[in-house]
Amino acid sequence: MSHPIQPGVCIPWEEKLKELPPLTGDAELAKRIWEETDALGYLFIWHCLLSF
Amino acid sequence: MTMEQTYAERLNRYVTAMRNGKPDRIPIRPFVAEFTAKYAGYTCQEVVHDFPKAFAAARKCAADFDWDAVVGNMVYVWTGLTQAIGLRYYGIPGIDVPPNTGFQYREPGEDEAFMKADEYDALIADPTGFLFNVWLPRVSKEVQPIGAPATPRNNLALVKGGMAMMSYFSAFPPQGLALQQESGTVSAIAGIFKAPLDIIGDKLRGYLGLTMDLLTQPEKVLKACEALMPHLLWVALSGADPDKNVPIGFWMHRGCTPFVTMEQFQRIYWPTLKPIIEELWRRGHQVLFYAEGNWTAHLETFAELPEHSIVFHIDRSDPFEAHRVLGHKFCLSGGLPNTLLAYSTPDEVRSYCKKLIDGVAKDGGYIMDASAIIQNDAQIENVKAMTDFTREYGVY
Repeated sequence: MSHPIQPGVCIPWEEKLKELPPLTGDAELAKRIWEETDALGYLFIWHCLLSF
Repeated sequence: MTMEQTYAERLNRYVTAMRNGKPDRIPIRPFVAEFTAKYAGYTCQEVVHDFPKAFAAARKCAADFDWDAVVGNMVYVWTGLTQAIGLRYYGIPGIDVPPNTGFQYREPGEDEAFMKADEYDALIADPTGFLFNVWLPRVSKEVQPIGAPATPRNNLALVKGGMAMMSYFSAFPPQGLALQQESGTVSAIAGIFKAPLDIIGDKLRGYLGLTMDLLTQPEKVLKACEALMPHLLWVALSGADPDKNVPIGFWMHRGCTPFVTMEQFQRIYWPTLKPIIEELWRRGHQVLFYAEGNWTAHLETFAELPEHSIVFHIDRSDPFEAHRVLGHKFCLSGGLPNTLLAYSTPDEVRSYCKKLIDGVAKDGGYIMDASAIIQNDAQIENVKAMTDFTREYGVY
């Protein structure tokens, strides 16, 4: 997390993809699930700031 | 009338008023916090540390007082969660403060601010990274800073904190449904928003640090507010009502004069707030300006916003001036001084409610509530007087 990233994102999919072997299955599914769970981490820290 | 019909009638009443229309009668939507504990027979410690009791107390009040709308839990902090993360800035009833005192927010001294004066560039470059890597280890007694050895307590705090937050937030939809089904009560707000400048003052630099920065490095403060904007918009949208009936709660703290100067308000606070409100309204979401303190000096500025885009809640702002300046565009709420609920008689409460209704609610566009969140100093008979009088006198 050393570069500017978009709202809703902690570790961009593009960054994660570099760590993975070539995808053999549904790349969109892999991307979507990564981004949805990554957004939970984002919500955690921003709600710590805003809500608690 | 079935409970389903009661709920539909109340939702219509509440939404009609919020769109500045004239419903059948004035909606009653008290933001009751520790008052619910007092009424339901709990201590402050019980409702803030054992949230199912807070939820139960909110439902009991909603049912017994027959209110139109309430917040599912206005004792909004669950201190079990804040303790799991190890947040330093909470005073927890029964642990840090007496069990029947409301939870406390403890702002650190200027030298112990959670963000240092020379860290604006890091915040601006990557707000989320800054929060995780710099801010969280400072606000938590458990989370280790980047580069320090991880500890079992560090790891546990992050797991427990995440799981606790999920557990707490997941309890709200069933609470909303229970309110709807048990008493036909509407959940008053959905989602959370705060102004960028307030975030810097409240949780990062502290108010004293922020006021110095506004004098010594105002451009950095402005850039930081701009960097926070898309994130605050994203979080607000993530919790907003998908049906676009109830507003996003916007908790306004120290962005008004004399906490900041009018020039600072006009140059930094407002330009980094207004576009977010406009964008939320463009997407169909009203925002409840819960304007804590006295915002009378800023009413003309708020009048710039699109018609119906906000509900303006009156704490110490002049209710009659708010009605004069904003009433033609926006619904108002609140304005009944909490001191009356705590220290006056039911007759005095009724008298002030009449003055308020006569002055600001004649043409609709008004929701009855106290000025500030109702805590356990409010007298039950006075809250009942506010409720009963409004129900009788506030019929259109």
